[in-house]
Amino acid sequence: MINKSKTPKIISWARKKSPWILHFNTGGCNGCDIEILSLLTPYYDVERFGILKESTPRHADILVCTGPVTRQVKTRLLRIYNQMPAPKWVLAVGSCSCSGGVFSGSYNILGGIDQVLPVDMYITGCPCRPEAIIDGIIKLLEEVK
Amino acid sequence: MNITEFLFNILIFPGFLFLLALALGLDWLDRKLIARFQGRVGPPWYQPWADLLKLFAKEDILPAGTNVVFTSLLPLLSFASVMTALFYIPIAFRRVPSFQGDFIVIMFLLSVPSLLYFLAGWATKGVYSIIGGNRSLLQYFSYEVLFLLAISGTIITSNSWSIEGIRQAQFEQGAFILPQIFGFLLALSGLIGKLKRGPLDIPKANSEVIAGPLTEFSGKKLALWILTNELQTVAGLSLLIYCYFGNLWQMNKLSGFLIFSVLLVLMQCLLSAISAMYARLRIDQLIRLNWYLLIPLSLLHNLYLIIK
Repeated sequence: MINKSKTPKIISWARKKSPWILHFNTGGCNGCDIEILSLLTPYYDVERFGILKESTPRHADILVCTGPVTRQVKTRLLRIYNQMPAPKWVLAVGSCSCSGGVFSGSYNILGGIDQVLPVDMYITGCPCRPEAIIDGIIKLLEEVK
Repeated sequence: MNITEFLFNILIFPGFLFLLALALGLDWLDRKLIARFQGRVGPPWYQPWADLLKLFAKEDILPAGTNVVFTSLLPLLSFASVMTALFYIPIAFRRVPSFQGDFIVIMFLLSVPSLLYFLAGWATKGVYSIIGGNRSLLQYFSYEVLFLLAISGTIITSNSWSIEGIRQAQFEQGAFILPQIFGFLLALSGLIGKLKRGPLDIPKANSEVIAGPLTEFSGKKLALWILTNELQTVAGLSLLIYCYFGNLWQMNKLSGFLIFSVLLVLMQCLLSAISAMYARLRIDQLIRLNWYLLIPLSLLHNLYLIIK
């Protein structure tokens, strides 16, 4: 995605300090969505890490997906991913988006997010705790060069 | 003036670097204060710098079918017009080239980004962009009249169309803030609309029109739009400080700088508090409020100043 040898240090610092997320539900039960939205509340306040929740894929750095990928949502998921400017990362939040979860094997489910997009970080749990999502994003950012 | 001093003035002190630091510092203060008002911790001091650097290093994509040259010119032009306006506004009470009528030039240059903001919505052809652009134009017709009418109270009292004339009048008559506190508050509410801050962030309302005209912008262009808005905050607040507190500066550069900084921070606190306190107005509520209440009030205020 990015040429690691060419990125100046200050740019990779900026990328680590300002991850803007886009939240997309690919067909889940809404449990993980509520946990993601609670990240923005005063109790967790992810703005202290520079994380902002953007509403448009063109402003976002990290695509946060919840739920298994349904057949219908596959083209839209790809379209949203293609609209994001590089460098971009994909976060699979919840057991369903990691593997399909309880829906795996269903006739209208393709499986986890990794069936459609390259996933950079998996966060399990049903639903996963907000602390786990923060931990996942911070660990993803440690990998950013 | 030799060439080194000229370059220093353009690039470092009253010029680009200082304004950038000031604008991003105010932006951080705003975000931190709103976070504290909401009971959150808020971002660290380097957050606006990191955001801008990241955006400048990101890929720049536009929807298919947009005119690339035109769309790229819009943020550049708005950035340039705000920087030109800042050249005529005495930041930190420094001396600026002043002529009769420069007030109108500043008002025009500060309103150029609003029009380009509307064009940005049309140029990128997104549904949300077009709705946001229309909203920004509607908002423009209400707050711009209010801002100009309210701030022209200082022009009426000082009987001069130049920034320097307004300053001279305040040396003779005292600061305009006490006799014209009413006009100051009206101008401040006009400024909130001009800066598209809450509660008047109608054109870019997150939960209604995604990001308004900026929905389809990414990378460098988005960074320039954000920077333009932050510089506009500096320009608008400095203009208000200069028109209403013009006599506080006494020949000493350091004390002038300190007074300016304190006033700037106080006014930013006021703007942040207003943003945190009030919910967003609907576009029709804004227009009704402005044209039925605030603009008649500012006209009455000006009438009172003329008769007095």
